[in-house]
Amino acid sequence: MRAVFSIRTKLLLVALLLLLIPWMSYIYVRDMKTFLLSGQEDALSLTSRAVATVLHDRPELFLEDTQIDPASTEDNEIYALPLPNYININGDLSDWGEQAAQAAVYEPLPPGADASDANTEAPSRSEPAAGSPAPIPINEGDFKVRHVLGYHGRFIYAMFAVDDDEVVFRQQGFLRVDSADHIRLTLQDPGRSPQRYTMIAREPGRMSIYLMDEDWQYPVTGDPDYNLAAELSLSDTGYNVELRIPRFMLSSDTRIRLAVADVDDVDSLALEGLISTTPESDSDELSRVLVQSAEIAKILKGLDRSDTRIWVLDREKRVRAVVGNINTDVQYKQSVKPIFSSNSIREVWDFMVASVRYYYDIALRKIFTYIVDKPALSFADYERTVEQRNDEIIEQALAGDISTDRRASVDNQGTILMSAHPIYLGDSILGAVIVEQSTNQVLTRQQAVLENVISVTLLVLLTVAAALLLFASRLTVRITRLRDAADNAIDRDGRILSQRLSAEAKSGDEIGDLSRSVSGMLGRLSQYTSYLRGLPDTLAHEVSNPLNVVNSSLHNLEQENPGIVESKYMNRAKNGINRIGSILQNLTEAANLEQAMQSETREVFDLVELLENYVDGYSFSNPSQKFEVQIHKRPLKVEAAADYIAQALDKLVDNAIDFAAPNTAIVFKAQQIDSYAQIDVINRGSNLPEGMAERIFEPLVSVGRKDAQKTRLGMGLYIVKLITSFHGGDVLASNLRGTDGVIFSLYLPIYNPDAQSF
Amino acid sequence: MARKVAIVEDDFDQRENYADALQQSGYEVATYANRKEALEGMRKNMPDLAILDIMLENEMDGGFDLCRDLRALSPTLPIIFLTARDTDIDRVSGLRLDAWDYLTKPLNMQFLSVRINSLFRIVDSLGQTANDDKPDQVVVNELEIDEDSMSIRWKSQELSLTLTEFWLIESMARHPGHVKTYENMMQVTRQSYVERNTINGYIRRIRNKFKEIDPEFKHIQTVFGVGYKWNSGE
Repeated sequence: MRAVFSIRTKLLLVALLLLLIPWMSYIYVRDMKTFLLSGQEDALSLTSRAVATVLHDRPELFLEDTQIDPASTEDNEIYALPLPNYININGDLSDWGEQAAQAAVYEPLPPGADASDANTEAPSRSEPAAGSPAPIPINEGDFKVRHVLGYHGRFIYAMFAVDDDEVVFRQQGFLRVDSADHIRLTLQDPGRSPQRYTMIAREPGRMSIYLMDEDWQYPVTGDPDYNLAAELSLSDTGYNVELRIPRFMLSSDTRIRLAVADVDDVDSLALEGLISTTPESDSDELSRVLVQSAEIAKILKGLDRSDTRIWVLDREKRVRAVVGNINTDVQYKQSVKPIFSSNSIREVWDFMVASVRYYYDIALRKIFTYIVDKPALSFADYERTVEQRNDEIIEQALAGDISTDRRASVDNQGTILMSAHPIYLGDSILGAVIVEQSTNQVLTRQQAVLENVISVTLLVLLTVAAALLLFASRLTVRITRLRDAADNAIDRDGRILSQRLSAEAKSGDEIGDLSRSVSGMLGRLSQYTSYLRGLPDTLAHEVSNPLNVVNSSLHNLEQENPGIVESKYMNRAKNGINRIGSILQNLTEAANLEQAMQSETREVFDLVELLENYVDGYSFSNPSQKFEVQIHKRPLKVEAAADYIAQALDKLVDNAIDFAAPNTAIVFKAQQIDSYAQIDVINRGSNLPEGMAERIFEPLVSVGRKDAQKTRLGMGLYIVKLITSFHGGDVLASNLRGTDGVIFSLYLPIYNPDAQSF
Repeated sequence: MARKVAIVEDDFDQRENYADALQQSGYEVATYANRKEALEGMRKNMPDLAILDIMLENEMDGGFDLCRDLRALSPTLPIIFLTARDTDIDRVSGLRLDAWDYLTKPLNMQFLSVRINSLFRIVDSLGQTANDDKPDQVVVNELEIDEDSMSIRWKSQELSLTLTEFWLIESMARHPGHVKTYENMMQVTRQSYVERNTINGYIRRIRNKFKEIDPEFKHIQTVFGVGYKWNSGE
């Protein structure tokens, strides 16, 4: 057998070709990424040019002391004053210079007052609206705040000069931090929850700053925040506070709120007044702080997009304005593990579907980590507080080149696309615009496409493979069934047992065709074999008539011419007729035997006894032939027609004598092998030719002849075969081992009275 | 007066050869080529013995049909089948039709004459029943063989035997205890070519006929590889 690959394996191997699809998609998506990135670069370049175009020929935008025109500020926008120098956070307001003089005065607002009135324009408001409920009692006149917001460099500064009759410091061992005079700072980035900070002091000097809960009562963690810094010092009328906020905590969109809380009663420690120094709007929206070149920021505001960051730099590469954000976070859709909830069939089904999907996703993720490089989930880049940029691309832009570039993010986790465009003033260059975007967007999209393609192809692959497996299995089963049927249609001796295969006979496809054509083949073969089997008989019948003519003619010739009887030719003619006669007899013997055996009754007898009688009888009629009998087991009871067994022995002995070397004995051996009686007839002499051991029992097959006068039609061993098969036994021929000679083994089933079904 | 033998055989050469041989032996011979001719001819001129081929022209079993018709005309007419068809089935159907013998071709002409002679002897002896003088009587055990009428009785009951069967039993019973080899028995059947199977078939039928009378019959013993013998012991 050379069954290396079954059909099943082959089809599955072919199915593996489907893996080319994800590979192809991979290649395609990789190209797509390049294409998308170059598209993105083009878009960026256009953006930078557009921005630059707007900024052309407007040198005023780049002047250091450009102020925000208060008139142009909108609601909810507060502006920070540019400060000439860094502020020393020491509670000493002297370094605020003339800006301190510009401080607006704020007084406690009556709760519920129209927020639009609480503008920076009219900070002095002391009358609470009549009849309004006042949750916080207000001590009029003795609590007001002078406040300035300014910036310099990387910091925003806030100054509070508070008039307070009772300065209450934080009490020892008091966990709540709203039970003393304190400053409140709220920062909120769009879409995020607000961050609340409280600045409070136990004594004049450095204030503790905590991130607070929603009620402003307890710190979220006990750890103070060190990004912010504030200092409190007592004054004649109350206390002064200086607050420093690093610019990185504020994006262009960050909303801010500042308030001063007043506590007067040392015993009750109740909050008595709250002055907000930032505008309050209807919608509780916090204010935006405008810093840097407010004009530029305003111009750029329209370009403010969450995924694009636009920098404007002056000739010294100092940052004049930044808007927008680089989208550094990538949101992956997370698969949710389904939870089994109900017993209704529909929900169970949903649960199963969801589970399958969930585990499929999980499995896919695992695979993807090996084939797709994921964009970093988040990475860090320049904060907006950067004052100077030194990228090469900026140099180029300032030199007049329009260029795009890619750089790694500051922490090397992501890639950022940049495009720079010079801003002109006439022919000279005023500054540069840099537009930046992270490639994460493209990468994410690429990955999503790739994941989609791969998951779909994997699904298709699995389905196709399963279908092919099923198909191949079915095919194999059918072919195997057909093979078995075909195998069983012809027995070991080549006799046709059934002329029609029932397996697959009704199938409409090629296997059905095969089955039917095998059936047809068997039919024709069986016709042919029955013709062959009938041939000797027909031949004998047809020959016997003319032979009879010759025979009777010879007889009549003798009668006519009595002298002819002595003629040697007459004798030879008679010999010839006799030989033809014996041929005919041989030819018909097998056919007659088959018929005769049908009507024969079987009896139970001892095969060994028959063998001994047989050898005795044979020796009696052929005294010259030597026999040797070896009995290994007795009795060997068989149920058979003894005459036919003897006839089979006759044929075997005839054959053995024909081929035995002169003066050697024919050896008989009787033994039992399992449930079979075995009689061996062994003769020394020449071996069977190669391949003859199988064919020798077929009709009209003979090995050769010693005596030209003796008829050898090759029917003898065929008759032995017929007789043994008829009795449920078999006969085999093989060469002797070690020495030349042939052994014929005749097997008959041992008689077993229990197995009889009478 | 010469006995009349009818030969029905569709092969001209064989028919004429038989006719010549039988005429030589002193019989009056009528020949017919087919069933119709034969039936008409024999109706007009009933023979003393008929030799029939089974296959007649295009009638596969023409001989059997003819035999049936002749039996209707004459229940006692000795009929011999002479045919190339040598199967047990044919043999059995032939004998079931009360044919006296069934011979296969090619046939030795001398044997044919002998048979015909023997058959006429039987016919003759059946005619003269009142002959008490029986010199050719062989008795073994409870077997009585009447050589004249070629009849055999076992335990005083007549066996219905064909000529060949009679000869076989006689040959064994004449020398009880002696083995009759197949070769001997082939001679005894007085046919040209007889196989061991055929002999076995004869013996089987003979045993069955004895067993119809006596289920315990065991006197014909097989000597495997050699032949048969009459076992006179118990």
